Amino acid sequence: MLGLAKGLKYTLKNFTKEIVTYDYPEKSVPLPDRFRGIQKFYPERCIVCNQCANICPTQCIHLTGKKDPDPSKKGKVIESYNINFELCILCDFCTEVCPTEAVVMTNNFENSAYTRDDLYKDLTWLDNNNENIREENKG
Amino acid sequence: MDVKYLEGLKPEEIHELDRNLFLTTFEQLKGWSRSNSLWPLSFGLACCAIEMMAGGSSHYDLDRFGTIFRATPRQADVMIVAGTVTKKMAPILRRLYDQMPEPKWVIAMGTCATAGGPYVNSYAVVKGVDQIVPVDVYIPGCPPSPPALIHGINLLQEKIRYEAKTGKKVIDRDGK
Repeated sequence: MLGLAKGLKYTLKNFTKEIVTYDYPEKSVPLPDRFRGIQKFYPERCIVCNQCANICPTQCIHLTGKKDPDPSKKGKVIESYNINFELCILCDFCTEVCPTEAVVMTNNFENSAYTRDDLYKDLTWLDNNNENIREENKG
Repeated sequence: MDVKYLEGLKPEEIHELDRNLFLTTFEQLKGWSRSNSLWPLSFGLACCAIEMMAGGSSHYDLDRFGTIFRATPRQADVMIVAGTVTKKMAPILRRLYDQMPEPKWVIAMGTCATAGGPYVNSYAVVKGVDQIVPVDVYIPGCPPSPPALIHGINLLQEKIRYEAKTGKKVIDRDGK
């Protein structure tokens, strides 16, 4: 009988505890700044050094560059930049290796899709991915 | 109804006839009830299974969406393929899918189940579980966090309701 009362006391105590469940689909989940979501790409910062495509462990980044249309400037500008997000393992290597911080991580994790083709992200999509961008990228 | 009346109609016209007011409302009711009691077959194969378990526990609580994990395929509606599918595991996955009762859906959770992920160059890994079973929702991420899994499940619920309501495929929907 005493054991029953003890057990019931524990049960009743738990009723007054604060609820730990995140109200996720209604409210956003608190995420740290170092969270790895889908990448954001700045085409004007990119110098077409190909380092991100080279370091990617799954070879999911494809990029092409062209010569700068301004004849007084040396170097290249980006022409196309595609991330095959169905293969991206979010290892963060591309953002770490980028010398100009042209590709950075965001906190956007809601990338589920009905087809695999929807996961193929091109330059326009990655450029317009403007929300929840990581604040600090170096260090 | 006179059967001869239906003769000479094209299949799409018969499909239009099937979607009358009474049956469409009944389909919507079925879609509503199916989408709110998605019992998944817990099919954990790798690290994604840990995130799936975290999704089932109190911080994220998948039970809120009627997603209660079942240990047998015969009681399950949706198979969450969480993790790397090796070529040795592939026939077992197909058998478990065949043992599930209709209607059934598949969620490919994580990059491994979607396209092979980090093992894309391996000789022993299936490059995407859609080569074995039809997949409804792909969740990218390595592994996807529990909120991403919840988002994928909500997407599947939306798909079930949309297809029950309109009779069209959700992948043909505009402005998605």
